Amino acid sequence: MHYPFWYVPGLTAPMLIAAVAVLHIYVALYAVGGGLFLAVETRHAYRTGNAAYLAYLRRHAWFFILLTVVYGAITGVGIWWTIGLASPLPTQMLIHLFVFGWAMEYVFFLIEIVSAFIFYYAWDRLTPRAHQAMAWIYAGSAWMSLVIITGITAFMLNPGDWQGDFWRGWANPQTLPQIVARTGASLLLATLYVYVHSSFWNGPAGLRAMIARRSARPAMAGAVLITLGGLWWHAALPASAKATLIGAAAMNLMIALIFALSVVVFFMFYFGPYRHPEWVSPGFAVLLLLIGYIVTGQAEFVREAARKPFVIYGEVYSHNIYVSEVPRLKRDGFLDGGVWTRRYVAGRLPQLVSGGGLDESRIPSLTEADQRLIGRTVFMHHCGSCHAASGYSGMREMLPGWTPGMLDHLIVNLDRYHFFMPPWSGRPEEALALRRYLETLASPHPVLPGAESRGGGA
Amino acid sequence: MTPETFPLAAGTPAGSPAPYWVLAGFKLLGFVLHMVPMHVWYAGMVLVAVCAFTRHAHAARLGRRLASAMPILIALGVNFGIVPLLFIQVAYYPVFYPATIMMGWFWFSVIPMLLAAYYGVYVYAGQVRGGRVSPLGRAAGVVSAGLFLAIGFVFSNAFSLMADPARMLALYERTSVAGAVTGTGLNLADPTLFPRWLMMFGLAIMTTAVYILVETRTAARGESEDYRRWAARAASRLHGLGLVWFGAMGAWYVFGTLEARVTGAIAGTPGLLAASAASAALPVLVWALMRRAAAGPVAVWPVAAAQAAVLIANAVSRQWVQSIELAHVFRPEELRVSAQWGPMAAFLVLFAAGLAVVAWMLRQLAHPGHRSE
Repeated sequence: MHYPFWYVPGLTAPMLIAAVAVLHIYVALYAVGGGLFLAVETRHAYRTGNAAYLAYLRRHAWFFILLTVVYGAITGVGIWWTIGLASPLPTQMLIHLFVFGWAMEYVFFLIEIVSAFIFYYAWDRLTPRAHQAMAWIYAGSAWMSLVIITGITAFMLNPGDWQGDFWRGWANPQTLPQIVARTGASLLLATLYVYVHSSFWNGPAGLRAMIARRSARPAMAGAVLITLGGLWWHAALPASAKATLIGAAAMNLMIALIFALSVVVFFMFYFGPYRHPEWVSPGFAVLLLLIGYIVTGQAEFVREAARKPFVIYGEVYSHNIYVSEVPRLKRDGFLDGGVWTRRYVAGRLPQLVSGGGLDESRIPSLTEADQRLIGRTVFMHHCGSCHAASGYSGMREMLPGWTPGMLDHLIVNLDRYHFFMPPWSGRPEEALALRRYLETLASPHPVLPGAESRGGGA
Repeated sequence: MTPETFPLAAGTPAGSPAPYWVLAGFKLLGFVLHMVPMHVWYAGMVLVAVCAFTRHAHAARLGRRLASAMPILIALGVNFGIVPLLFIQVAYYPVFYPATIMMGWFWFSVIPMLLAAYYGVYVYAGQVRGGRVSPLGRAAGVVSAGLFLAIGFVFSNAFSLMADPARMLALYERTSVAGAVTGTGLNLADPTLFPRWLMMFGLAIMTTAVYILVETRTAARGESEDYRRWAARAASRLHGLGLVWFGAMGAWYVFGTLEARVTGAIAGTPGLLAASAASAALPVLVWALMRRAAAGPVAVWPVAAAQAAVLIANAVSRQWVQSIELAHVFRPEELRVSAQWGPMAAFLVLFAAGLAVVAWMLRQLAHPGHRSE
């Protein structure tokens, strides 16, 4: 609307954000928890004079740098890249509100990089005290990065009574619960990476068992924090987000699975590596990591889905328009209200141009092909952030056998049918054109046994 | 093209978080800081790739030294690059987002390309450190160098398109489906594209040359005197090559591609004229200093300072030209400001504290003490 819309066939552009974000979070959380692991364990190794453990930690630090400083850092930048492409208006709003928050996070990021490199590359050169200090500086700055970013992303789910203020916006009702949950996730994931790394390492069995046992404790603490933070997160959700989750069976299933897996993981750690550290084999470690990925990925998915129909709760809808714009768009037209769509339609259908804008009351007088073009244009910009024509959440797959009357009623009552959808934001003539376009996508109703005798079907 | 005919996005209700001069200042500062390591990997990886195939012992040694430093340089460059990326989005959002969306797939591809290039550098640098570079390692180095050049090309596309709203609209018309863009457009029809891209490469060659000189004199004390003399001379020659390249591409860019409206504005704006002249003349001074430094034991810090001045002059003049190119459509200085002085002060305090922490860490590195402590 305010920006050109990026058409990603079959998938939708925001799904690219989800993909990059999930791939990033798997390592970003390890960057936090792994930092704490290295700090605590390096201290332990120095205190106990355990040279073999120090040698292992050095190997692990290299693995850690390769994964977090390269992959983690670049995919983190990748989220920026992708949100600007797929959701430019919310990105614009967030960056205007929180640019100095991101700048603060940047400072911690800089400290992270310098301390991580010195910790690893100057391993043999620093005094034990300075060496440990590097690890703690890294751990502290990585956690502070998590704290700052979480406040900003939590703002999108529930800004609370922020009144346009940076600090109130950052300290929103979702910030603390999400910090607790993410801190837990970072502890848990760090242990899972340590298990994978150490189980493939051909070191002394006793040392590997010690690593498994010691690392089980932060993992169990992490599982507890995830559960507590998750419950708190749910309590701090705005009412509509709770309704969205309750109303979606898949979401309920995912939430139940997240909590169940967190509890299962806790007991797996307690009865497994904590009491029987020798059980940690490569297969066991990979299995645990996969479970960790599932929990983390689902948690991120649920966190994103709970925001619907908003990208920024109460401010920007998922179809990239401000909440405050809806009445005007309903009055003047969705296509006329978008600077790029207005230009596109005016160039293709000059008969709609009137007084510098579009007169959308003329849409019914267009040919059917032109009405479908209008409908497709509306679909791209109004629906395309969440629905592909065919593919992810595809209309072809979702509307088999829908009649024109059903479509007409659905389109102008989107938020009444599904409260996780934004309200219809255009004129009735645009709704009609959209229906004409959707009719070209809809597939026939599948024939069900007995439907014919009941007079059902399309 | 006027503000009425270009589809500008509405401003954020909360307004801009700082006056334009603050945003532009942070953007410039961040860009200059980013350019130093970015230039060294941009042109330096090409040099590393060339050195990987040479039988000249000193050249091979130079390539290995450069490659060993690359992982850290890239990490710092990516980190410093966040600052200009942040502030360009704050100040130039109505043109930045559309330009990148037009080339969505290419812009998006920067991330996997950067990831592959970065790991390629690690593969090559790791083998260099291990003292044995395999054909696969060499290939990784060459591919990384190529990917960095490709990333530079995508950046040149995005930033040249951002400054040319008319071409942005033409691209929109050509690549949109039902008003939505396919993200497959590049700004190839823009005559400024190639000179901009190649000019930056020339500048990168010069920065790399200065880096080699400084590194040779300050960090290569363990190398033979023969190598150090050779490397200093090679840096001087490399700078000369970069200077010629930069001069040729810069002349092509300014005299062959810029609109008369822009060149007229440059000529009529004393400050911009001075910055542009400095951007063109200072490299010659750096070249003279490099030749002197290569010929004898002269301090290299004045060379580094002069190159920093080149980068600052270049960044300032580019920023200024960009403002002129966009002025008929968009003036960021006219955006409504709702300044966040508190958060900005908090950031500056944190930044100062962060620099102190970094300085302390570097001090530990420089004076490591005794392991037996």
